[in-house]
Amino acid sequence: MLQVINSPENKSPYLKTNKLTPIRGRIYDKFNHPLVLNQNSYLLYLEPKKIIDKDKLINSLSNSLEVTEASISAKIDMSKYWLSIQSGLTQEQKDKIQKLNLKGIGFDYQTKRFYPEASLSAHLLGFLGKNDQGEDVGYLGLEGFYNRDLQGLPGFVETERDIIGRPILIGVQQRVESENGRDLVLTIDKTVQEISKKKLLEGLDLYKAKKGCIITADPKTMAILSLVCLPDYDLEKYYLFSEDFYKNSAISDLFEPGSIFKPLIMAAALEEKKIKPNDTYNETGQVSIGEYNIKTWNDKYEGKISMTRILEKSSNVGMVYVGEKLGSKKIYDYLGKYGFGQTTNIDLQGEASGYLKPKADWYPIDYSTVTFGQGIAVTSIQMIRAFASIINGGNLMKPYLVQKIVSENKITEIKPKVEKRVISQLTSEIIKKMLVSTVENAEAKWNLPKGYVIGGKTGTAQIPIKGHYDPSKTIASFIGFAPASDPKFITLVVLYEPQTSPWGSETAAPLFFEIVKQLIVYYNISPSR
Amino acid sequence: MLVLVITNFFVFISGIVLSDEINNFESKTDSLRKVNLSLEKEVANLGSLKFANEQAKKLGFTNLSAPQSLDQLEYAYRH
Repeated sequence: MLQVINSPENKSPYLKTNKLTPIRGRIYDKFNHPLVLNQNSYLLYLEPKKIIDKDKLINSLSNSLEVTEASISAKIDMSKYWLSIQSGLTQEQKDKIQKLNLKGIGFDYQTKRFYPEASLSAHLLGFLGKNDQGEDVGYLGLEGFYNRDLQGLPGFVETERDIIGRPILIGVQQRVESENGRDLVLTIDKTVQEISKKKLLEGLDLYKAKKGCIITADPKTMAILSLVCLPDYDLEKYYLFSEDFYKNSAISDLFEPGSIFKPLIMAAALEEKKIKPNDTYNETGQVSIGEYNIKTWNDKYEGKISMTRILEKSSNVGMVYVGEKLGSKKIYDYLGKYGFGQTTNIDLQGEASGYLKPKADWYPIDYSTVTFGQGIAVTSIQMIRAFASIINGGNLMKPYLVQKIVSENKITEIKPKVEKRVISQLTSEIIKKMLVSTVENAEAKWNLPKGYVIGGKTGTAQIPIKGHYDPSKTIASFIGFAPASDPKFITLVVLYEPQTSPWGSETAAPLFFEIVKQLIVYYNISPSR
Repeated sequence: MLVLVITNFFVFISGIVLSDEINNFESKTDSLRKVNLSLEKEVANLGSLKFANEQAKKLGFTNLSAPQSLDQLEYAYRH
């Protein structure tokens, strides 16, 4: 008898190679409450050559899967050996179909994503889809940004088996273990996320706004505590929604910020010692810059007013004065320092960089309008980051969502990162006081939680359409922080095209204070006066 | 010769027994993994805000949950 040992051509018909699919990493909130897990799932397939009664099979599957007979029938091609019918079946659905004892069907085990909090954080999380090879790939949000960490590394097992599938011990046995995907622990607090989403839903309904976003962050670190934009989509059935719903407005949509931008220019002017809070400006009427006239929102003027009062009454002409004091070069430098025109590099897929036109393209009117937030396009995440820098002592921080990446044998902690210092601690304290005064002496009166010191600024920006502003459409916003002495959180509320009132003071601001009331209870912040 | 045959037979039988055990452990590991995922899902469901909201609605709790003391702090201070 002739035997050939270890010949490569002598591949045993019993040698089986199986891919060991890694388990995709899970995603948790900051307190390790799960936001994304994996669950058992099954792919139902057909082997048409083994089907005995095609009509009965179609009828039974139609009832069990709750799909029409026509759609199942259309999938069946009797000339094929194997056909995929439906993926994502639950254990219960699988058991129910198996009990029917149908010939010619089978199940392949798979896992699919499970969202215990449903679509609480749809834009933030992104979804798991397929690439053109049918492999799982994360799209958008965290699933997209951290796809390589989450997906893990596949392994394989090569083993010789006998005719009934038992390993042949003296045969080939080789196993390379898969490496499961890494888990992500976020900075997101699901309770804050829930409060934000609930309030935003109420706000959109109450103010009849087209869409909206709320971002809450720790201003000292720019760890994002909640980020919600509406309308969003159902993570489980993402394929039923158009691509427009996938876009995370907070990082992808550009808008003219309007008056919430004023404190940034004011802080820059204070930092450069071009003004002091009690300096006065004589607000007598409209200001002409070239062929353009700049006026206050109500075209009313108060005469001599302080720099703090400019913010309180949100005076555009006052801000033009502050801008002139600061000078065009410094204005442009500070826009760069605040990070406008660059991505924040937040760990989410799909961030836009905003637009800051080259210095050579700036006209004198641009330096005037930018002081009150017009003529510049920013994203919400850029805006909250820049604003956080003026109230946290002057540091421009990198916003982030993942605080820990956990693999089987290692935990990588992600620390807050200071990008640059924009203003001094002293200037930061001054601007905070001015912003507290802005809330307390604003022309609109809000239902503030009594005993708490809160700082903030309203914004109303018209929407530019084909070279002019549409007077009927605005983006209403409010950005604020609490408690002012040592801010625990900063929150930005942006409402697109509210119908009940165009003003930020009458839409975004009340919504902000509703959120604040909930957050000060949640964080157990005691009143300071 | 007989010893060799017996040893060979013994090794052969042991191999089959071991293979069966490996097969058993493989399927048990698989089913444990599936049970583990199911339990993880169940625990996450029970700990979710979604579930808490559903229960709160059932118990009529949500109407009473607003923090009343914020708008009437003097009430909170006095009592």
